[in-house]
Amino acid sequence: MTPMSHALQLANVTFDYGEDFSLTIAELSLNKGEMALISGGSGSGKSTLLWLIAGLLRATSGSISVAGERMDGVSESAADRIRARHIGLVFQTHHLLPEFSAQDNVSLALMAAGEPEKTHAARARELLNKLGIERVHVPVANLSVGQQQRVAVARAIVCKPTIVLADEPTASLDEMNASQAMDLIQQACREAGAALLCASHDRAMQSRFERVIQVDSFVSTKRASTKSGARA
Amino acid sequence: MNDISIVVKSLRSRRLSTIITAASVAVATALLLTMLSLRTASFEAFQRGTGTTHLLVSADSSPLTAVLNGVFYANAPSNPIAWKKFQDIKNAFPYDWAVPTQQGDSFRGFPVAAVGPEFFTRFEPVRGEPWKLVAGQFPSTLFEVCLGSTVAADTGLGIGQKIVLTHGTGASRDSHEHDEFPFVIVGILQPSGSAHDRVVFTDLESSWILHAQERRERAGIEGVATVADLTDDDRKITGILLRLPTRPGRDASAAIQQQFDALRRDTGIVVAQPAQQIDRLRSIIGNVDELFIALGVAVLLSSGISILLSMHNSMSERRKQIALLRALGVARMRITGMILTEATLIGFAGAIGGCALSLIGNAVASGALKARIGLVVDPTLDPRSTVIIVAGAIVLSALAGVLPAITAYRTSVADNLRPEA
Repeated sequence: MTPMSHALQLANVTFDYGEDFSLTIAELSLNKGEMALISGGSGSGKSTLLWLIAGLLRATSGSISVAGERMDGVSESAADRIRARHIGLVFQTHHLLPEFSAQDNVSLALMAAGEPEKTHAARARELLNKLGIERVHVPVANLSVGQQQRVAVARAIVCKPTIVLADEPTASLDEMNASQAMDLIQQACREAGAALLCASHDRAMQSRFERVIQVDSFVSTKRASTKSGARA
Repeated sequence: MNDISIVVKSLRSRRLSTIITAASVAVATALLLTMLSLRTASFEAFQRGTGTTHLLVSADSSPLTAVLNGVFYANAPSNPIAWKKFQDIKNAFPYDWAVPTQQGDSFRGFPVAAVGPEFFTRFEPVRGEPWKLVAGQFPSTLFEVCLGSTVAADTGLGIGQKIVLTHGTGASRDSHEHDEFPFVIVGILQPSGSAHDRVVFTDLESSWILHAQERRERAGIEGVATVADLTDDDRKITGILLRLPTRPGRDASAAIQQQFDALRRDTGIVVAQPAQQIDRLRSIIGNVDELFIALGVAVLLSSGISILLSMHNSMSERRKQIALLRALGVARMRITGMILTEATLIGFAGAIGGCALSLIGNAVASGALKARIGLVVDPTLDPRSTVIIVAGAIVLSALAGVLPAITAYRTSVADNLRPEA
């Protein structure tokens, strides 16, 4: 049983991806409200790690617990429910539904989490207003990139998740906008009481986090090993 | 936000494709509904026209032709029956009534039927619904006519006005007007919902006088013909409507078939049981409208395929949407259900649109049938056919959504949301 103070705990997790790629994570945990950066170069396995935690990829072995609930060894639908309730996701390209309004995009997360339908609109609107989005009924395709980022963050935290997983959230932004985006994500997580595990190859991000996890420190890849001539 | 609102938003985002696909379902549904309801209604209308006649005697070439000409006024019967033959037939059996009819003239394209007085007093154009007048009276003396409701409505003529009948249909080379004998309109009949509504009715003697006058002119006899001038050769009819006695409240009689067989022994006449001939007509035309129904089913199937193609094509651009819903925690089966709901909604919208189209089509078709052949066809939809066809369209649409739903079920979140390398 995962201690309840942990937002996330991984133990002896392995993941085989094809013949030449494998991740092995001996141990990784994150306390509630803790913010950590996973740092490493492109293709080092940062995103794969986040997707394993989210249950969108299934680990070959080992245990993954989120908010005290095991993600491994459970049915896909059970993993879906845990993800909807406890995990917020922020993607590099936002992945908003362009024909849906900002309010609807945020409401989707509430719907997925099984929150009462009559509360969706009010909760989404309130959070969006708080994040500076007033035009909540406008299709997100008509919003600026910065506004879309806010909508994506709102969608990630609207269910008050235990942990937010952010996968290269600033990769497509310039330095100034990247800084503003990270301010937004961290502030939002702080206010929502959510832990944050952010994957980024940008070294400038390291100063923003109290804990920086070098992916190479506990992740081994067959590809990396093969390249160095020593198969794991 | 709920599953249905996602489905509706998804359909609205592909508005044109959704409308075209639903329209194809609507056209197929309407085609099937219209074919089925008009088939049923038109045969009911045909049956109405035969009224209370048990047997029809004519000198036409076949029983079916006799019914089409004698009851539905398709053409004027080409061969006459002598008056003496009518009297022999009438006296050979205690018929409930026997009505002689004669056709051949027309008025502004509408057929003219000269009939015996029992046509108005004993014959009922629709069982249980005897003739009624909107105005005036039935012809009671020479050179009076009574207009069927369609004739009155189309010509705008009223009581007291005079008309001149045309020999023949008016379209043939030997057509000419009987202008020596104007007829007075004395009555306008209530609509009967049968072919009789397109007919101008007069008495037999007036009709015979018209043709006696022609005979006299050909012979160079001067003066205007009267009843006294009629010869046996003038007194010809083209049909006899017969009804056998029945028990009160009953329409059938065991003697009908016996009398039918007895009359058929006379090779100079054709005897028809109108109800049987309508059934025969139904079986002949039935093959044609089965073809139309098969066509409707084929269109419905093709609209199902167009739903499948439309949704299948949209799946490539919707993979990200599906993957995102999955990433947010929406279960595969729930997304599969949304896709099936989407296909079903297209089918439902198409089927409802088809019902509306069919109602419009039926109204147009029934109007045309009434104007062309005087048949009053109920334009409303048959509830049973409607339920079956609407349900069929919806089920077919849902089935068309199965393949896209499977595609949605199999959509990989990782492949569709991870940034491209």
